[in-house]
Amino acid sequence: MNTFNASKVRALALAFAVFGILACIAFAPRLLAQRSAAASAPDSRGKQVYDAHCVECHGPEGKGDGPAAHLMTPRPRDFTRGRYKIRSTESGSVPSDEDLLRTVRQGLYASSMPGWQKLLPDDDIRAVVEYVKSFSTRFAAEPPVAIPASATVPSSPQSILRGSAVYEKLQCGKCHGTDGHGTGAAVTSFEDDWAQPLNAADLSEPWTFRGGATSDEIYLRFRSGMSGTPMPSFKDSANDGEMHDLANYVVSLARKPLWDMTAEEAAAFYARQDAEAKANPVKRGQYLVDTLGCTLCHSAVDEHKRLIPGLRLAGGLRIHVAPYGEFTTGNLTSDKETGLGNWTDDEIKRVITKGTLRDGTRLLPFPMDWASFSTMKEDDLNAIVAYLRTVPPVRNKIPGPSWTFLPVHLWGKFNVLILGGDPPLTFYGGNAGSAAEGK
Amino acid sequence: MKKILKWIGLAVLVIAAGGLMAFLYYIPPFFTTTPEEFSATMKSAAPPASDIADPLQRAMAERGREIVVRTGCIGCHAVNGPNGPDYTKYLGGGGIRIHSPTGTFVSRNLTPDPETGLTQRSDDEVKRVLRSGVFPDGHVVPSSAMPWANFSNWTEEDRHAVVVYLRHLKPVRHKIPDPIIRPEPLEPGVIERDYAFKDYGLPEK
Repeated sequence: MNTFNASKVRALALAFAVFGILACIAFAPRLLAQRSAAASAPDSRGKQVYDAHCVECHGPEGKGDGPAAHLMTPRPRDFTRGRYKIRSTESGSVPSDEDLLRTVRQGLYASSMPGWQKLLPDDDIRAVVEYVKSFSTRFAAEPPVAIPASATVPSSPQSILRGSAVYEKLQCGKCHGTDGHGTGAAVTSFEDDWAQPLNAADLSEPWTFRGGATSDEIYLRFRSGMSGTPMPSFKDSANDGEMHDLANYVVSLARKPLWDMTAEEAAAFYARQDAEAKANPVKRGQYLVDTLGCTLCHSAVDEHKRLIPGLRLAGGLRIHVAPYGEFTTGNLTSDKETGLGNWTDDEIKRVITKGTLRDGTRLLPFPMDWASFSTMKEDDLNAIVAYLRTVPPVRNKIPGPSWTFLPVHLWGKFNVLILGGDPPLTFYGGNAGSAAEGK
Repeated sequence: MKKILKWIGLAVLVIAAGGLMAFLYYIPPFFTTTPEEFSATMKSAAPPASDIADPLQRAMAERGREIVVRTGCIGCHAVNGPNGPDYTKYLGGGGIRIHSPTGTFVSRNLTPDPETGLTQRSDDEVKRVLRSGVFPDGHVVPSSAMPWANFSNWTEEDRHAVVVYLRHLKPVRHKIPDPIIRPEPLEPGVIERDYAFKDYGLPEK
């Protein structure tokens, strides 16, 4: 094949190359433009603010399932439902823009929702509210229905007296107690419409009222109801005047907060608190478990640190502690086989206070901080046990500690103690226990 | 004679190696210290609140101390020295550096030191961190790094008591580096990595 000699091949190759380059030059701007449109369409300001400040609780998709969500009561709002508790709109209506702006600016008092007005410019707050609304189709479909203005009733002994009769008539005491503090209440812990835990408000502590503690703000809670919770709207069972009287009565139930007390009052307050803890060990135990951070490690989470549904307190979080070994957090539910169901009270207290497992194995003093937990009073330890007994059983068999092979362990120590190395603690997503994920 | 020296030399070497291995095995003395000793250390490490003159402040600070001690704040907020945590600098911070997918965080100095501690932070600012994990510059610390989501379940009165106690600590001058807020990819499956052996505060000039 002499016709295809070397110079011809070279010429052909050159022609192809030139054609290729020309084609690239011709199409590149269009290709690049497409690429940048797909990859770096700038996020809206609202999304930027949301991603920077809101996802830890409300989750990236607004479902109220961020990493922090399962650790707190009440849980953060799921924006995709478009249902909100703190509103100035009629029962069943979406909140007004002003309602949402107020919540973001001022926060929901005594909850994890902080007031952002000192932290973010108002334009950012407006942008993030628009973005939050976009998670639900309700806002586009239904305009908010404002509650018509009603004549407020100024507080007076007569109004408060009338309000106390309304309190009886509407049976507020069933959840809030005869004194607003839960005394004599049938039940004070609930689940909302999405099976998330929720406590009845303590009406003697106005600084914990999420939507504010003025008479007018309290009136709005009666009138609009708290969507998704057992707190209904009383629009059909009481008139506006009665609801204003009731609000005045609730304001009158306020007690002094600790920080305004005299020393004698504070002593009496703490004595009462301790007596209540003793009388209700399960509630006290839950308070300790929720606040000590037990739920943080003893619940398996996914690779985004979000609770794997159903595994609260069921253990399964894998932690590698160099150079010691690998440890999986225990199943604290009452399951007899894989949880604490068959442990005696003393065995549970021994692991909490001495870091010593049932078979006598000792744990490291971290990450399970049994040395700190050991400073608790016996009553508190008993309360924790009492609460853990009530945690519904979840079958999740946890592998025992896996200690590092001795020579590797000694080398690791040599690295730390002699060479000044710095070995990490590593936490893994996923459930290391036997339960299938998501069950 | 040479043979004997050789044997002695070998024996010394074996003993030295054995000694090093035993040292490495038992230090730090996590398993040779009794749980009761750990317990006693935790109880006594926290400065008492009983010396506060004002009876209300004292009552609140004592309750706050109880909460701070049982919750184990010192586990992360200790000042690490060459021989482990230095409890004379209680809650001076810098004891842990946490690498999270959203950034890197070093435990803060919780003592009332005017420059490096919480003195310039208002009660509301401290409480906001303990309730929402939100710092005055607006950044959010992960709830797994600092268990604020768990602490959010404290009653407001317990939270107040904690702040009263923190205000009463001995000031410790210990500057802590600012958090680095930026996406930090960890290996697949890893959700957090902590370093907790050294002092991660900033050295004094």
